[in-house]
Amino acid sequence: MLQAGDYMQFVSIDWTLVFQLCNTLILFLLLKKFFFKPVKAMIDSRAKEVSDTFAKADAAKAEAAQLKAKYEESLRSAREEAGQIVKSARTRAQKSADEIVSEAQAKASDLQLRAQEEIVQEKKRAMGELQSEIGSMAVMIASKIVEKDMNEADHEKLIQEFIRELGDESWKA
Amino acid sequence: MEKAIVLAASAIGAGIAMIAGFGPGVGEGYAVGKACEAIGRQPEAQGDITRTMLVGCAIAESTGIYSLVIALILLFVNPFVGQL
Amino acid sequence: MNGPQILFVIPILGGIPVTETVRNSWIAMAVIFLVALWLASGLKKVPGRKQAVAELAVNTIYNLVGNTMGKDKLYFAPYMGTLFVFSLCSSLLSLFGFRPPTGDLNTTMCWALITFGMIQVFGVKSKGLYAKLHTLIEPMPLMFPLNFIGEFSNPVSMMFRHFGNIAAGIAITSLLYSGLAAASNILLGWFTSIPILQLGIPAILSVYFDLFTSCLQPYIFIMLTMVYVSNSME
Repeated sequence: MLQAGDYMQFVSIDWTLVFQLCNTLILFLLLKKFFFKPVKAMIDSRAKEVSDTFAKADAAKAEAAQLKAKYEESLRSAREEAGQIVKSARTRAQKSADEIVSEAQAKASDLQLRAQEEIVQEKKRAMGELQSEIGSMAVMIASKIVEKDMNEADHEKLIQEFIRELGDESWKA
Repeated sequence: MEKAIVLAASAIGAGIAMIAGFGPGVGEGYAVGKACEAIGRQPEAQGDITRTMLVGCAIAESTGIYSLVIALILLFVNPFVGQL
Repeated sequence: MNGPQILFVIPILGGIPVTETVRNSWIAMAVIFLVALWLASGLKKVPGRKQAVAELAVNTIYNLVGNTMGKDKLYFAPYMGTLFVFSLCSSLLSLFGFRPPTGDLNTTMCWALITFGMIQVFGVKSKGLYAKLHTLIEPMPLMFPLNFIGEFSNPVSMMFRHFGNIAAGIAITSLLYSGLAAASNILLGWFTSIPILQLGIPAILSVYFDLFTSCLQPYIFIMLTMVYVSNSME
């Protein structure tokens, strides 16, 4: 009969086996419930959170890249458009400037032409007027002279001579 | 007298059983030597090699451990004395 | 040399002895459980130092199980972890002068029995009864006796391996102590009756038998358990 204080054999199989089976199972259940499950759940939840964050960051990055591409595209088209506008404005301005210049030139040459014509006309008219005035003046002078003593032939000769002298020299000055 | 003979025979038997210890000794020495060579060739795999070597050594040790258990049983438990 | 001492006897079924082994197992269990509770208390998303240790332990055992058994068998990790720390703490109790529970064949036999049960149960569960029985007569029916014995020899070798390593430590340490006591009695007996030689010398052996073996054997035990169980499931 076994008693407290006795020693078991060094190698034996006895009730301790059952005790140890229970001990192991109890420890397993306790550790599983209070250690492995909560810690593993924490690790998994954090890993999930981290991967979620990364996925979110990746999505944001992709979106940003897309936005940037769109932005650049629109910027480029805007620049192109602006260049086109400037170019067309420049050509239009050039055209209108050319038009204005040519118009002005035309007008100027027109004016010149007209002025020359007018001058010629004026000259003609002045000559005519002068001739007639001089004629009348000569007649007047002649009549004055005639009052003194002169015949018709001398008279006419004198007038003509006078006119010729006048026309040749004094009007040219 | 009979008991003395059985005990003496058991002690001798335990000693003879422990001769088995030389097998694992040779085997483990060979394994460790090979592991050292492997580490020399591939120092970066030292962790894996050491782990594998330890497990292999432990398994090679089995026969030595069996003989040890037999020796322990013969010395400390001695099932033959009870059969007298 | 003696086995574990009987502490008290439960007077049923012809007297159930409760031995040192059982008490020391309870000590180990209490220590493990309290440490685990302390480590796992106050879990937060941002881990402190304590939680980092707990997570390192859990990650290590999950990685070991995942690498050895495959990623689909991670549900074995808690048992393997439990077995490892229980065995480790049981063996390390010898450092504090307790008789290690793993130095009792009952303890290692109990774990080997659990391993054997896992091999059979999970093998049948994952393969079906017919396929599991069929492995006994592979590659040919003539091999049946060998395969049949092989089914039992693995757990038996595991149990003797673990027990033998620790028991050898106990036996050799006690032999050394008695030898040193005798030596100091002969050499220094005229001076003092205290066995002075026992002071430092056993520590050197203790490093191998208590620390190295105590750490290696649990690892080998769970490695072999994992390998056998996952082999029987495939």
